[in-house]
Amino acid sequence: MELQTALPENSGLATGLEEDSTYIGPSARCVLFTLQDEIYGIYVKKIREVLRVGTIRKVAGTPPHVLGVINVRGVIVTVVDTRTIYGMPSKPVTDLSRIIIVELDDEQTVGMMVDFVMEVKDIPESKFEPLSSTKENASRYIQGIAHYQDNVIILIDVDNMLMNFE
Amino acid sequence: MDEDILQDFLVEATELVDQLNEQLVDLEQAPSDRDLLNAVFRGFHTIKGGAGFLGITPLIEVCHRAENVFDKIRNGDVEYDAVVADVILRAFDVISDSIEQLNSGARDLPENDQGLLQELDAITKGQAVQEVETQADNAATMTTDIKLELPEGVDPDGEISDDEFEALLNQRDMLSEASSSSPQIPEEPKLELPEGVDPDGEITDDEFEALLNQRDLMDFAQVDETLSMPEPASEPVPQAKPADTKPAAPKESAPKPSVAPAGPAKASSKNTAESTVRVDTRRLDEIMNLVGELVLVRNRLLTLRTTQGSSEELSNAVANLDHVTTDLQTSVMKTRMQPVKKVFGRFPRVVRDLARKLGKEIDLELVGEDTDLDKNLVEALADPLVHLVRNSVDHGIEMPQDRIAAGKPEKGTVILAAQQEGDHILLSITDDGKGMDPDVLRRKAVEKGLMDEMTANQLDDKAAFELIMSAGFSTAEQISDISGRGVGMDVVKSMITKLNGSIDIHSVLGEGTRMSIRVPLTLAILPTLMVAFDEDNYAIPLTSVQEIFDYESDKINMIDGQMMVRLREKSIPLYFLSEWLAPEKVKEDYDGDKVVIVSIGNQRAGLVVEQVNGQEEVVIKPLGMMLKKISGYAGATITGNGSIALILDLPGVIQRFQY
Repeated sequence: MELQTALPENSGLATGLEEDSTYIGPSARCVLFTLQDEIYGIYVKKIREVLRVGTIRKVAGTPPHVLGVINVRGVIVTVVDTRTIYGMPSKPVTDLSRIIIVELDDEQTVGMMVDFVMEVKDIPESKFEPLSSTKENASRYIQGIAHYQDNVIILIDVDNMLMNFE
Repeated sequence: MDEDILQDFLVEATELVDQLNEQLVDLEQAPSDRDLLNAVFRGFHTIKGGAGFLGITPLIEVCHRAENVFDKIRNGDVEYDAVVADVILRAFDVISDSIEQLNSGARDLPENDQGLLQELDAITKGQAVQEVETQADNAATMTTDIKLELPEGVDPDGEISDDEFEALLNQRDMLSEASSSSPQIPEEPKLELPEGVDPDGEITDDEFEALLNQRDLMDFAQVDETLSMPEPASEPVPQAKPADTKPAAPKESAPKPSVAPAGPAKASSKNTAESTVRVDTRRLDEIMNLVGELVLVRNRLLTLRTTQGSSEELSNAVANLDHVTTDLQTSVMKTRMQPVKKVFGRFPRVVRDLARKLGKEIDLELVGEDTDLDKNLVEALADPLVHLVRNSVDHGIEMPQDRIAAGKPEKGTVILAAQQEGDHILLSITDDGKGMDPDVLRRKAVEKGLMDEMTANQLDDKAAFELIMSAGFSTAEQISDISGRGVGMDVVKSMITKLNGSIDIHSVLGEGTRMSIRVPLTLAILPTLMVAFDEDNYAIPLTSVQEIFDYESDKINMIDGQMMVRLREKSIPLYFLSEWLAPEKVKEDYDGDKVVIVSIGNQRAGLVVEQVNGQEEVVIKPLGMMLKKISGYAGATITGNGSIALILDLPGVIQRFQY
């Protein structure tokens, strides 16, 4: 914020929502996607790639949030239904559905089925706020939320979510 | 202790210990082999050098004394007979244990057993005390004359090559050995930097090397002999006292740790060090994976070429890709391979110790040591092989007098052989001992209550031999602490089965026994039987599959709530895999489906599946950690057309159905 006041040509915008080009402070690059009508974000550094949905091989005996396994260039990757994890009804795969391949801290890769991948955005860190403890269960996997350009972005803690969700 | 230098020392010492393990036993066979003797001497000396550098006193004490003994042997004062060998081997064990402890993170080694040190000293002094004294006198009078000189034209400041080192060693051989009988660690002789070197500035690698070499040579000549490399060291030069130079040196050289080991080691390992790279096996696995994918892409291209009728140029390019991919695949496979020598290397010692303990005379022949197999397999095979070799020595080979009475040579022979057979490795342990009597085995089986007499008598000879691999079966009349506790052969068998291998016993009474182990070249590839429910493929490890037949409802009975299938007068429990894998496929009538009979341990089960699609060799890929907890799967694999097949873990499958 101090930086912005130091730049006179931006002073007019400082009260509203900043555009990317005008903000110079630290920011986090996130991939934004939707589930239902909500926008979620994952740090780009956790994401290996985003894939179109191909054949998912079902595995008998798995918990409901596991959709099955896919072949990502010779590596078998488990795919989870992100909707189920957040307690939403699951929905059939559409042309817009994508699988986001995330890499966890222990180098495991997991695929997350999402409704629609929007874009990659640099979100100013100053826009993040920690989540006030409301819904105990769901908040376990949320790192924080950001109000950004009229939207609320829910930032997912993928490690915590994928390691601990039962 | 500088950790970097210590790690380098350990890597080298571990290799030396492996070498010595073999060399020491060889030396006992050929005590007059001068090259071997020198090699052994050098081995101990190098370890001592490194240990001295790092101040690992217990290790220095033992190495030093062992070195002294070998010095005596080289001079012909002591003979390397079985008695001396026993003491040396014990000393070697202490060294080997110490290295192992250091490797596993321990930093303070326990004090040495004084008894062993005294025994070593006794050998050194023992018969040769008189001689040593006269030699010492000679040495004293010769002091000023003795010089070690490098052959002309050799640059003493450069790296010492093997040849040069050899030359120095030989020179030293000719010199009198005044000091070597002293059991104490001699005081550090003075070291001196070559002229023109500024001792206050940074010590370069070369300089450090030169100092190290000097120090080594001083160690050799120890007392007052004058060295001429590169200048007489007896002239005291104050600023280069060892007290100053030594602590500084390791620090300075730390960035290039390969300098750390003493001179001789440097010389001998230099060539290999530069041509190899250590690679994390996980990285190799990644490459394997990608190559596997490339193979699939190639296969798809090959199919496209034939179906789409492409141009000649394109089809040439595809053919080229085909060749390159195949070669790439083989090369990558080879990176994971290690020679079986890694396992075989320990056996001369095992056999030697056992034979001495039992009072037998045994020759061990190693055949096909250079056969390569998967690194994991090399490690996994070590234990079962040790057990089998011990068995051959203990139970197979007879006592010398019995052998003579049987008209056999007094010395027994055990042959340990490895050879590649297509995509398998065949390992065999052959002895020319007393062989096994199938009748005795049948009788024992009945005595131990493993089976009734009728069944036992129906066993053919081969099946009778296989009895020794059942749990709780030991035929040794006398239980020894070497083998024969009745656990063992069954453990060996289960270990081999775990590696997707098989074990086969052939024995002729009075002539000997041969145990053959067949294991796949690599653990990563598993021969499987592909079964399916519609599109969903499942792979069953082929080693467990016994037979396949059509499901016929009139052969099926319900016994005590469990479906059973009758097969040659035996009832085998039957499990309908669709109940678990494809619930929508559960039906009233399974006619037309297939029954796959599998063996799991010593029980059998029939699995009902919809289709059997034949055999396929698959690359096992792990399921992620989220699916690890689910029982019944051993992993997954990618089939020829790019789809995923799940590999069944049979014990897990059966468990699912039983509870």
